[in-house]
Amino acid sequence: MAMTKRKHISVHAQGGMLRQLFPDSTLKIVGHDKGLIWEGKLQPTNLSITYNIRVEYNIGCNPNIYVLSPSPLPLAKDATKLPHTYNHEKQHLCLYHRLMNEWNERKMIAKTIIPWTSEWLLHYEIWITTGTWHGGGIH
Amino acid sequence: MLTQEEKKQFSEIFETLGETLDITETQYNAAVSSYGAVGEWLAKPESSLAPYKPVIRPQGSFMLGTIIRPVCDDDDLDIDLVCELTGKNPQWAQYHLKQAVGNRLKVNETYRNMLEEEGRRCWTLMYSNSANYHMDILPSLVCNGYNTVLEKAFSSTALGKDYETLAIRITDKKQNNYYTDTSTENWMKCNPFGYCRWFFATADVSTLRKTVVLSEAINPVPKYSVEKLPLQRVVQILKRHRDMMFNGDEDKPISIIITTLASRAYDKETYIIDALTNVVTNMSNYIENRYDPNTGKFVKWIPNPVNSDENFADKWVEHPQREKNFYKWLNQIELDIQAVVQKRGLQYIAEAMKKPFGEQAVTKTFTTFGEMNRNLRESGVLKMAAGTGILSMAGNIVAAAHNFHGND
Repeated sequence: MAMTKRKHISVHAQGGMLRQLFPDSTLKIVGHDKGLIWEGKLQPTNLSITYNIRVEYNIGCNPNIYVLSPSPLPLAKDATKLPHTYNHEKQHLCLYHRLMNEWNERKMIAKTIIPWTSEWLLHYEIWITTGTWHGGGIH
Repeated sequence: MLTQEEKKQFSEIFETLGETLDITETQYNAAVSSYGAVGEWLAKPESSLAPYKPVIRPQGSFMLGTIIRPVCDDDDLDIDLVCELTGKNPQWAQYHLKQAVGNRLKVNETYRNMLEEEGRRCWTLMYSNSANYHMDILPSLVCNGYNTVLEKAFSSTALGKDYETLAIRITDKKQNNYYTDTSTENWMKCNPFGYCRWFFATADVSTLRKTVVLSEAINPVPKYSVEKLPLQRVVQILKRHRDMMFNGDEDKPISIIITTLASRAYDKETYIIDALTNVVTNMSNYIENRYDPNTGKFVKWIPNPVNSDENFADKWVEHPQREKNFYKWLNQIELDIQAVVQKRGLQYIAEAMKKPFGEQAVTKTFTTFGEMNRNLRESGVLKMAAGTGILSMAGNIVAAAHNFHGND
């Protein structure tokens, strides 16, 4: 059986899927299929609040995910910064292990990065309450 | 108005809270084996009680499945037990029956040391080795073949509501005939098992898969059940709120009143949040006003569902603070539930729950919720709904494996 090598997904296809799954979101393609900026709303559970999220992606790089609002995100009692973030002030989330190849350009952002963002938000809401991150991961 | 999805999630939160408030399987099994040992001791062939075939059976919240842990883990758990004797010496008045049980307990050195001062109706054993609990043992007299009567009433096919046949006779130091009257028809009646049967008839929701095995309730050695009916959870939640509000206060609303009124108001809701909201809104409607010809006044009456002549609120006349506290509590829990239900954001919902139900219990509830979601994702069944990002098992996009990574 021949191995089918999955191709890199184009920026247009990435953006198209994001818009298809989140029709109310906004998408800007940067350059000519060089990158994208997506902004949308995510509500991690039925009882959660809604968060404004921004995804910045340039082909050949890892996508960067930010929580635009609420800003600042309130912290758990006695915490000084948000868990699993690259940059606390920018609310730049660490959703996966870059060196472990958990995401690559053959994967749809809308079907990987976005559910992971939602999951981050869910565990963030619980972290506020318990002071402990229950979502797993690596420090 | 809550959407179905919101109701479902609130119910999950309150279900998890209820599980957190419940005693653990270890505590449960420890209690069962402790009173099982008492039962064996009383029934030994050389026991003075042997001719009366003593049986120890749980009653009260332990039997109803509504027992909760104390607010402080160091505080005592109360376990109510009935000691049934089938028949008695014809010479015995209430006093003699009570002493017969007490004396047999005292023959055992361990129990003698654990016995507390004699109660009005009970003997109390204080356990303080691994777990702290009190066991209130209610000496009682039952008819011949009582166990068969009980089993029949608690079989799944029982249709009759003849609770009266389940009544037992008890002793009460405050009765005038306590020392003298040997004819048991003049002794006080009490019907904990009739009440239990009524409670389960009220709590039973046939549309729910979780059928509680009714016959387990009267088993002297009932199996621990993790699953609870919505009404059982609601009662646990109400009692916890009461404990938080009146920790240690003698004039707090009593469990039997809370349980009875909640059961009366319960309308077979399957979502705990619906049940809870309905119960707190409507339970006070089941408090009656009855005219007392002796005083010419109306008194608040909360009838025992299996004996409407018995008023669970009889102490309210003598202790008006108890009535005040009951209404104060009911008003507060209604406000607290409303406040929780109006919040959005798990962090704000949790915050609103901490004062009414206890910080530790709420933290544990949300820890469980977080870990459950992590497990769902790790087993590949957590899915995201397109358009909203809502995660559940019902979404359309599977949340793939990944590791949240380090800090900046």
